[in-house]
Amino acid sequence: MAQTLVASGGARAVAPHGDVVMRIDRLSKRYGQRLAVDGLSLDVRRGEIFGFLGPNGAGKTTTIRMSLGLIAPTAGGVHILGHDVATDGAHVLPRVGALVEQPALYGYMSGRDNLRAVASVLGGVPESRLDAVLELVGLRGRGADRVRTYSLGMKQRLGVAMALLQDPDLLVLDEPANGLDPAGIVEMRDLLRQLVAQGKTIFLSSHVLTEVRQLCTRVAIINLGKLVTESTVDDLLRGHGEFAVTVEQAAQALALVRAQPWGSTARLDGPGAIVTRAPDGRGRDLNLFLVQAGYAPDAIAPHAQDLEHVFLALTGAANGTN
Amino acid sequence: MSATISTSTAASGRVAASAPAPSYLGILRGELLKIARMRLVWLMTLLFAGVNFAPYLFYLATPGVKNGLQNQPATLLFAEMGRALLVVRVFGGIYILMLTALLVGIEYQNGTIRVLLARGVGRLHLLSAKLLALAVVALGLIIGGVLLNALLFVGTVLALVHNLSVMSALTGALWNQAWLYALTVAISMGTSILLAAAATVLGRSLAFGLGIAIAWFPVDNLSTILLLLANRFTNNDFWLKISAYLLGPNLNAMAGVVVPARALTIHGEKGVQTVTQPAATLGIQPFVPVDGTHTLVVTLIYALIFAVVAAVIMWRRDVLE
Repeated sequence: MAQTLVASGGARAVAPHGDVVMRIDRLSKRYGQRLAVDGLSLDVRRGEIFGFLGPNGAGKTTTIRMSLGLIAPTAGGVHILGHDVATDGAHVLPRVGALVEQPALYGYMSGRDNLRAVASVLGGVPESRLDAVLELVGLRGRGADRVRTYSLGMKQRLGVAMALLQDPDLLVLDEPANGLDPAGIVEMRDLLRQLVAQGKTIFLSSHVLTEVRQLCTRVAIINLGKLVTESTVDDLLRGHGEFAVTVEQAAQALALVRAQPWGSTARLDGPGAIVTRAPDGRGRDLNLFLVQAGYAPDAIAPHAQDLEHVFLALTGAANGTN
Repeated sequence: MSATISTSTAASGRVAASAPAPSYLGILRGELLKIARMRLVWLMTLLFAGVNFAPYLFYLATPGVKNGLQNQPATLLFAEMGRALLVVRVFGGIYILMLTALLVGIEYQNGTIRVLLARGVGRLHLLSAKLLALAVVALGLIIGGVLLNALLFVGTVLALVHNLSVMSALTGALWNQAWLYALTVAISMGTSILLAAAATVLGRSLAFGLGIAIAWFPVDNLSTILLLLANRFTNNDFWLKISAYLLGPNLNAMAGVVVPARALTIHGEKGVQTVTQPAATLGIQPFVPVDGTHTLVVTLIYALIFAVVAAVIMWRRDVLE
């Protein structure tokens, strides 16, 4: 893909990003006095699973709806595969599979007829594809049953099947694991990985942070409609030059470390564990210091942060500010 | 999820490499599929057929009908044509009002409108495909209703007089009257479709659309009583004139003023008299005389308003929950 993305407004320079599948460009949505999305900009690159996180009411669903042409932005725009969704949606949206919030299905029709109804709209979807996507989500045996007899998990899987119907380049999934049992969640995760392996790009909004941690290559966290951070998962979780030290007599060792100029932020992290910076940022120097002080560590490793803590810290939810 | 998820190429089926834009015919096909899968549609079709059957059972049990067939076949055919198409208009109208609210409202009820729009289906394309699918159903109801009534009439004639000589009374004038009456039925159904679509899109709700669509005509007709009362209390004809601009009364009167009345020659005690027999109508009509052009123009204005309301709201409004 070598399309040039043209940003509206012109203020944001839009270079030919061959690998940018979806570009959200200074997107805003105002409802009366409330700014639901405030100048949000993101790039989603080909072949990645991009996690889109935020607390309830952060503007995730509004952003997704604007990305799919369901809501008109107050300002800014969304480009998918180089096309402006607002002006060229009819051409680009058929290449996007989406599952927004609860699966939306015709309850009085069978699972297969639900797919058939959408397939006829899309055009170019052979009958064999219906079998294929039903097989893919494990509903082949229930395809003839009315959807109103399905469990929430089955409806969710049919929603995913519907999103995959036209073999899309980009999948926009809003809480795809909603309603699935643990085995279903694992299979959904495997499915998403396989889809990415086939070259698809996935934009995933989820509240299940462990899922995001395991699946996503990059994440964006938004709060109150604004982008808080956009980063790779590894960078986000990487400690700020800190190390986790497992040591006997942790309390005494902590007191010693805190007395050092580089160790003022050291803290206990569970029984027998200290999290601290190191002299000159080097782990081996920290190890040497502790050994010479008589607190030979059992283990030293770079300290990785928990995504939940990062999320809560960044969104302010831990302090009840949201 | 009990089945193993697999994305093997062999099982995946193939779709066009670059997805085409949604086709209008495809959208229309999808809408017809949704209609065909509604059990309520088949139940309503059965009921519609049933109400068309009922009058013929009455004819078989009424001695006067046999005399009419033998002595005044043309008069009876004209009356029967009007009666049959009146049944199609009234019950077909209720059928199509309900179906329109269902077909449009179900997308809001289930949230499926976002599935379709998120695939690049144009909002006005979707609305117009729904309206076209409903127009196809309405046409089917009219044609089916006419054919069913024709079959039942022939059967009744054969049962009562054992021959079809009565059919020789089917003159060109009678065919023309039947065609015009059928046209008024089609206009009535088309307006009903637009009314129900506008109400449902406005309320973004199946229940709201169904409620407004079903209540419109009774309220419209009954409001004429208030106009009548206002006229009595104020002695002002202005109130009566308002009734000429209400949709229900105009649709009720339309066939009677659009279809040319039939001239009848009566041999009575006062000698030979010529009277006119208008096409069969039902329901409250305007309290002031209206002609065919008036009823058509008023109906057209209502239809345009409904169409514009439905289209503008569908086009402009965000798709939320």
